[in-house]
Amino acid sequence: MNTYEVFLKKPGKDEFRHAGSMQAADADMATVLARDSYCRRGEGEHLWLIDRDHIVAVDPDVLATTVDLAHRTNDGSAVAARRKRLREEAS
Amino acid sequence: MIELSTAAKDVILAFADDEHMIGSRHANWIGLGPFLEEDLAFCSIAQDELGHALALYDLIVPSSEIDRFALLRDPSQYRSCTLAELECATWDLALVRHWLYDTAEELRWKNLLQSTVPGLADLAAQALRDEAFHTSHAEMFMTRMHRDESARLKVEAALAVLLPAAGSVWSPTDTEAEAVAEGVIAASSETLSQQWVDTVTTDLERFGLAGNTGVTLGDRTIRSQGFESFHTSLGEVISLDTAAIW
Repeated sequence: MNTYEVFLKKPGKDEFRHAGSMQAADADMATVLARDSYCRRGEGEHLWLIDRDHIVAVDPDVLATTVDLAHRTNDGSAVAARRKRLREEAS
Repeated sequence: MIELSTAAKDVILAFADDEHMIGSRHANWIGLGPFLEEDLAFCSIAQDELGHALALYDLIVPSSEIDRFALLRDPSQYRSCTLAELECATWDLALVRHWLYDTAEELRWKNLLQSTVPGLADLAAQALRDEAFHTSHAEMFMTRMHRDESARLKVEAALAVLLPAAGSVWSPTDTEAEAVAEGVIAASSETLSQQWVDTVTTDLERFGLAGNTGVTLGDRTIRSQGFESFHTSLGEVISLDTAAIW
């Protein structure tokens, strides 16, 4: 059995969203069975099935290197502090 | 409720009882399907068939009496066929019956597309949307069975059990000739049964499966073996309080 990741798109401007996963022997079987696993009552207008083996997953260790990078975080506090200092100097 | 001729009522009752029995038999697989996704799909099919039964009963029985009519009649009053009534206790039997029955069911709905009974043609058009899924679902499994030797042998054994009983779905009602004359149905059961044999024979060849096709008619006034206990189980809940309004 293969595992397929299921993406469902509602009518309108919504994007495809991950709805869950399912198992089937092959893609043809998955297309027949997906309807009743994920769209029994008109929950979506379009459905994508992606064989999990075809997903390129990125190593979490690579993503871990982006935690605690203060210089990539701009919450505006440095600019606010500078503006406050300049205001006080001008007055 | 509209006034219908006896011939029209007989045709509708036979079809409704078939749909009721097959839907209920399929529903026995809830939670027992071979894997989760198929369990869901098969039980959806069961639900569709029960929905068809309800819509058909609604043409011949007052809405408030449908539950009692469907569940509490005396067994001798049912007009379902053996193929729909049979217990299919293994998955291979259930699958093969599903394929044989839905192949026939699709032909029966098509035969109602021009029906003179008010509302029946619309119902047929709607049901055929469900049937397109049911037949593709059955075919999806049946086309795969020859690939694995043990699966092929199991399915061929199931075919050997079910094919002799399958023709019962074409057992006509006593008044069928009138129903054809009145335009309730377009063609006779006999004509449809020949189309069905052709389809089933061609399909089996395409699926790479062996089975002897043919039609042995049954008698819709006689219940098959095991019906009584099945009927009792269907009425278990409603019998708890027959005066209750559900």
